[in-house]
Amino acid sequence: MVNTIKLVFSNFKYLILSTVFFSAMVIGLLILSEYIFLEPYVVSHIPSGTELGFVLILIISALSALVIPMNIFRINILKKSKQKMSGGIFGSVIGAAAGACSCGPIGFAVISTFGSVGATATAFLTNYEVPIRIIAIGILTITYFTTVRSLKVECKISQ
Amino acid sequence: MNKKSVIIGVIIVAIVAGLATAFSVPSSETVNLDVGRSHGTISTAMGSPLLGDPSAPITIVEFGDYQCHQCYNWFHNTKPAITKEYIETGKANLVFVDLAFLGRDSPKAAQASYCAEDQGMYWEFHNMLYNSQESQIDNGWANSERLKAFAFSLGIDLELFESCLDSGKYSKRVQYNNQQAREHNVRGTPGFFIVGPDSQEQLGGAQPFSVFKQVMDSMI
Repeated sequence: MVNTIKLVFSNFKYLILSTVFFSAMVIGLLILSEYIFLEPYVVSHIPSGTELGFVLILIISALSALVIPMNIFRINILKKSKQKMSGGIFGSVIGAAAGACSCGPIGFAVISTFGSVGATATAFLTNYEVPIRIIAIGILTITYFTTVRSLKVECKISQ
Repeated sequence: MNKKSVIIGVIIVAIVAGLATAFSVPSSETVNLDVGRSHGTISTAMGSPLLGDPSAPITIVEFGDYQCHQCYNWFHNTKPAITKEYIETGKANLVFVDLAFLGRDSPKAAQASYCAEDQGMYWEFHNMLYNSQESQIDNGWANSERLKAFAFSLGIDLELFESCLDSGKYSKRVQYNNQQAREHNVRGTPGFFIVGPDSQEQLGGAQPFSVFKQVMDSMI
């Protein structure tokens, strides 16, 4: 497993890609979930009772930053199928959507635009935020292990 | 007993009754009787009674929804410090204006708060809702039956409360408040306007106490 990670991230381009993915996801999700505010001052805080949400955001961002560059590596270097890539993107998207639609600007815009359908969708994503994020982590973890196994076979990496 | 004594007696009774009425409202709560009330550019006439000293130099206008979990976070994490350092010291007061958009129970909860206000219990009911909020939207924690149960547990006259809530007496008041929020570009809850003597500043989200302190201190 370590050899596979080394193989991908020894290429500086994929290391940069991973850092960019992690930074963008973690900052974006922390802003959407109101752990970071940009106006009127840049400030961050973790309100009591929201620690679990914070940790889940970090895990989703870290796994996305690991899985997506590894799959891009498979597609670019080994010219393999994009099937596993979609698992990584799907996991990242549902993990991000879970927290984005609550009483903040995105939830408000969704409800204002789509009325009762938007309200139902927003309520679902808000009510099941933690389980949805755990499912997203599960999808990303499975995608990670299948990607590592594929890379081992495709690149014939020794255990 | 002559006629003069009766007149003096009536005047004394009237004064005592007037004073009793004036002091029956808790000192921190001012019932909103001003239909033209506004703070900065915001019409708060249909909002909550004012919490704190009406002559305080700063007014915090909070737009909120009783089912919003970020409003819950602000209520429990930021508001206590603001209450202690600004509202109780007479530096600021607070008015709550509804932006009830999250679910079908949100407007009903907002209406119920004004039914409680009819009996001088607005802030008690408001606090009870934010202390009783459950994590799921529209799961029944704020439906009509539960709102009546909250009123009952606060010792509110249930018959009056029920007739107020069931008749939809304050439905238009809540709609008016929602409209105020939209007119002022409030795009989510909680949303705040800090209205000072010379300026007003908008804050979005459940921001920490340090931000409110910085903004308010710059206005005093």
